[in-house]
Amino acid sequence: MSTLRALLARIAGLFARQKSDDDLRDELESHIEMETAENIRRGFAPEEARRQARLASGGVTQAAEAVRDRRGIPWIESAVADLRYAVRALRHSPAFVTVVVITLGLGIGANTAIFSVVRGVLLKPLPHRDGQRLVYLRQSMDGPAGDNVDFSVPEIADLRAATPAFGGIAEYSPWNVIIEGDHDASRIDVGLVTGNFFEVMGLSAVIGRVTRPSDDGPGVPAVMVLTHEFWMRRFGGDPSIVGKQLRLDGGSATVIGVLQPAPFFPGPMDALMNMVISPHHLSAQMVQGRTHRMTEILARLAPGATLDQARGQVAAAYGRMQHDHPDAYDPGSHYRVSVIPFKEALGDRARATLWLLMAVAAFVMIIAVANVVNLTLMRGVRRERELVVRAALGAGVLRLRRLLLAENFVITAVGALFGVVLAIGGVRLLVALAARYSPRANEIRLDPVTLGFALGLSVAVALLLSFVAALPREGTLGSWISAAAGRLSGGLRKQRLQRALVVAQIAVSVVLLAGAGLLTRTMIRLADVDTGLKTEQVLAIDVPLLSPSQLSGTASILQADAAAKANYERMRGEIAALPGVVDVGLGSTMPLSLALGSLDVKAEGRTPAVGEAIPHADFRTADPDYFHAAGIPLLAGRTFTLTDRIGSGRVVIINRVLADRLFPGEDPVGRRVAWTGDVLRFTPFSGDWRTVVGVVGNTRDGGLDAPPVPAMYMPFASEVAFTGDLVVRADTDVSGLVASATAVVRRLAPTTPIDHVLTIAQIKDESVAPRRLNAALVSSFGLLAVLIAAVGIAGVLAFSVSSRTNEIGIRMSLGADQGQVLRMILGEGGFLLALGLGLGLTGAFVGTNLIQGLLFGVSPRDPLTLLGVALLMAVIGIVACWIPAARAARVDPVAAMRAT
Amino acid sequence: MADKVDVKQGTLALMILTTLQGLGPLHGYGIARRIEETSGHRLKLNYGTLYPALLKLEQEGFITAEWRQSENNRRAKFYALSAAGRKRLAHEEREWRRTTDLIAAFLAPQRETP
Repeated sequence: MSTLRALLARIAGLFARQKSDDDLRDELESHIEMETAENIRRGFAPEEARRQARLASGGVTQAAEAVRDRRGIPWIESAVADLRYAVRALRHSPAFVTVVVITLGLGIGANTAIFSVVRGVLLKPLPHRDGQRLVYLRQSMDGPAGDNVDFSVPEIADLRAATPAFGGIAEYSPWNVIIEGDHDASRIDVGLVTGNFFEVMGLSAVIGRVTRPSDDGPGVPAVMVLTHEFWMRRFGGDPSIVGKQLRLDGGSATVIGVLQPAPFFPGPMDALMNMVISPHHLSAQMVQGRTHRMTEILARLAPGATLDQARGQVAAAYGRMQHDHPDAYDPGSHYRVSVIPFKEALGDRARATLWLLMAVAAFVMIIAVANVVNLTLMRGVRRERELVVRAALGAGVLRLRRLLLAENFVITAVGALFGVVLAIGGVRLLVALAARYSPRANEIRLDPVTLGFALGLSVAVALLLSFVAALPREGTLGSWISAAAGRLSGGLRKQRLQRALVVAQIAVSVVLLAGAGLLTRTMIRLADVDTGLKTEQVLAIDVPLLSPSQLSGTASILQADAAAKANYERMRGEIAALPGVVDVGLGSTMPLSLALGSLDVKAEGRTPAVGEAIPHADFRTADPDYFHAAGIPLLAGRTFTLTDRIGSGRVVIINRVLADRLFPGEDPVGRRVAWTGDVLRFTPFSGDWRTVVGVVGNTRDGGLDAPPVPAMYMPFASEVAFTGDLVVRADTDVSGLVASATAVVRRLAPTTPIDHVLTIAQIKDESVAPRRLNAALVSSFGLLAVLIAAVGIAGVLAFSVSSRTNEIGIRMSLGADQGQVLRMILGEGGFLLALGLGLGLTGAFVGTNLIQGLLFGVSPRDPLTLLGVALLMAVIGIVACWIPAARAARVDPVAAMRAT
Repeated sequence: MADKVDVKQGTLALMILTTLQGLGPLHGYGIARRIEETSGHRLKLNYGTLYPALLKLEQEGFITAEWRQSENNRRAKFYALSAAGRKRLAHEEREWRRTTDLIAAFLAPQRETP
């Protein structure tokens, strides 16, 4: 109690200093007077009495100091004094402060921003209850789009029966529905889920309820749970939406709740619904077809079960499934299932890029800190005299160290503040980048943890800076003072440290530049990839006139199909009449993007070898003008004609890769092919033989960095218009047609969502953009690093020159000419440069392997890139050395020698 | 002068409190004088020891301070025992006696068997 009271009194004592000081002086004064009076009474002369009084009581100053220490809290007071002193001292070197704050700010800002992204996307615990126990199951096979082929209902049933390590398996089938507003319509991404979905996922509603097992099966009302993001975006967070009916796919569904914010996989979802909205999902095909794979599954580990147990059980069950149903798992395609923690699955695509950026940012930080250390060392040398004076006046080593600490804390705190400001802007930019890779991008923010990260960085730097400065060990202060009183120099140890730092800076810069160079070349290579199209003046408009539920409905859709085709023809006619349009084609899918799916194919008279993967191809349709309008070259045979329609002979056109696959070394025109396989019965296509009438060129449908995908085109007129795409070719600039062509489509199909309106240039750009961003980020970091390193080497050399002015003067007076001096300093810098380059190139040679996965069309040890990087660094380094060397050469020997 | 000792840490507070209890409100000089006299001039107090101790007691609330006129018409800061200080003194006295008894008990038998 009394201790607390004393503490409060002492805290109060931190303020009102002046008043207490006066009070104390008066008190001590009165003490001495009383003692003096006493002494006079004893017979001393007044002068002597006063002297005795002072002697008897000890020094007044010491007493005042002792009382003062007791009054406030000494360490706080001296810390405040230190900080005040630090600010004053720093104000005298504005150039130093500016350079350090900017350098540290860039380093801390970059690291904080990227760490925020890494944390939000990869590290933060999932919002799901016990999210670390959720696992994602992925079925894969060889071949294009084989990474994730989803699961079928029978497969899920088999897994569920054989995996006690799972407490539950949640299913969701990615689907889309068209939601009709009063004036428009749009397509939304939904997951069709079973009633146990939310229970297994550990997600609950923020308003209303989630679905439950009683919402399963046919004959129940259609209900939907909105995701938090969609609720905010589309309904502005209006809570009254719960209970309302939304019109979709010609029917309706009731909104029963809004889900807590949570990431979905593989991509964002707008809503989750029960299955009843899609009759297809309740049909026998879906429920019984083992190869009808269209459901994603997530499982929750049972209490006490481990991931390894789950993996073992899944592997065993999957082996049995393959054994029992050999026709569903083509051995040549290597079907497999992996069990991945959900958090990892969510971060899969982002991981390589983010760790690369984190490493790059760390490199920048290393270079920045090295530079700041160098600057501090140089400043420390200039301040040695000041520190010596302070030591001579009685400041102990500890006190000097504290002074340095205070200064470094002030300067790194300002740097960190600047860094956080930069990070706020940086995070905003990076969220856009992360959204391309991760469904968790909206979880990225600057929060206490990331700000703590920035603070931790700055404290670490401050500590480092305070302990590289040379101070004598306790007890040797005197010798330090006498030694330093004469000569002030960097000292050999310090210069060596400075040089080592410069070498490290150059080496790290070279590694960064190498990475930047490789990523930039990747991007250029990618942009140069031949898309397979002969022109870029093409606009593609995706307008699916038939809705998913019409297509999957059991009733005949022939009538709807005929109406849709008539409408497509009208659109084509009106768009063709627009000025500037050269050609308009119709097809199922826009060029340079993957079709809705692929099917197994077979060629007449050819059976695949045992163990060979069954060939498959994307199914697409095209009308007679499609290839010409899209700029896809016809390599052999003919394109479709108006006579290729329902009722005439079945014909197809195949692309080059499929032709090479099915008819290696032969002419495919006139040969017959057919769709085949288990999945065919779930499609509207027939398995009859079709005659190949033409071969067209390959197009990069799976992205510019993926090999061309085999494709088989059927006549647009003879198949159901399962999707529809208008391909518009212009004579000059196609982007001028976007507005007018979209207006035509909108007018002719007012309640149909227009999924995409993209020019070929835009489609290409979408494919290159992530790499471009990577390259731009790493390149700007690389250039930043080089710049900092250049400043570093120039600074160190300049310092060396200024401390050797005297020596240079002597050399020149002994006959050295300007060229010799220049060469001497250049040699000094050149040695550091060469050492740094050598180390950096070695590092790059080893390190760039790590980013192989992010490269395209260029080897991680591309000699051209490494050579270019070395040259660039050498040129910048030599320029940086030249400036101080030239200054050294201009030294006037007389003035230099007189100056000392 | 050689036999003069410095005040042991912790005991000074007790001496100040006892002095104030015996003599009533007193200024720093008076307290110092009184303690030196009571110790038979074996103790020597300087400001550096006395005033921080007074401040500490004041901060802890055991004594109060007030500027007043002294007996010979000088302004001086007078310290007085507070209620908390009285309680504290009683407590300290008990503790002190207990400790000295204890130490005495330990020291006594050793003297009997040289």
